[in-house]
Amino acid sequence: MTLMILLLGLGAGVLVGLLGIGGGVVLVPAMVYLLGMDQHLAQGTSLFILLPPIGLGALREYWKQGQVDLRAGILCALGMLFGALGGSLVALPMSSRNVKGLFGCFLVLSAILLWRKAQVETRAPIAGGERAHG
Amino acid sequence: MAEGMGRNAGILTVACICGIASGMFGIGGGVLLVPLLGLLFSFSQHRAQGTSLVALIPPTGALALMAYAREGFVSWKTGFLLIPGIFLGGIAGGMLAEKLKPLRMRQVFAGILFVLGTWQALSAWWR
Repeated sequence: MTLMILLLGLGAGVLVGLLGIGGGVVLVPAMVYLLGMDQHLAQGTSLFILLPPIGLGALREYWKQGQVDLRAGILCALGMLFGALGGSLVALPMSSRNVKGLFGCFLVLSAILLWRKAQVETRAPIAGGERAHG
Repeated sequence: MAEGMGRNAGILTVACICGIASGMFGIGGGVLLVPLLGLLFSFSQHRAQGTSLVALIPPTGALALMAYAREGFVSWKTGFLLIPGIFLGGIAGGMLAEKLKPLRMRQVFAGILFVLGTWQALSAWWR
């Protein structure tokens, strides 16, 4: 069990670096389905994991490439600090079942946004590249 | 400088929305922040990811965590076991992201999220 948790962390970490996300979005379902946790417990534990700067190692790699907008990042951190408090006050009184269902809807929404972003990106180089139409 | 102010206010607003999702679902919020920075503020993908990692360095979930801890919804032991792996994996992923064209990877990830989300919503409500 302990080994499985350690490996789970490593796998989530690769996604953190690769996609620039916190990893909670994969950790929460993993804890619910693989470790059999309650939805609220998985979410609280995920928030705990995000407390130390787990993305620092990954950030260093992006920093070396100059791919960081520090000012925007700080603004985002500020907004997220208070937004997160508000969100937790909404979710805590809800039943675990409803939070779980909403989490599912949220994942679908994120998937659509990520997919759209990827589409926007693929279109741009093709239009400007080999086929100079229009 | 009005334009810069507007952009800052926009980013702050988007961050608040990501924060609400973060507290509601116990996540970092990067999964929402990265595509929104790209779609709304035309960040390049790598820049959006790097910036999202900055936003995740300070303990933005601290206030939300306290609210969950008060209700006893934190498994401290599992958390401690997960942290080292995530840190090390993060470095590996960061190096990998420079080498890969992460576009296909992201599409695959979007697909996995979609399936996972549908499954989770159904398993919660479909009885």
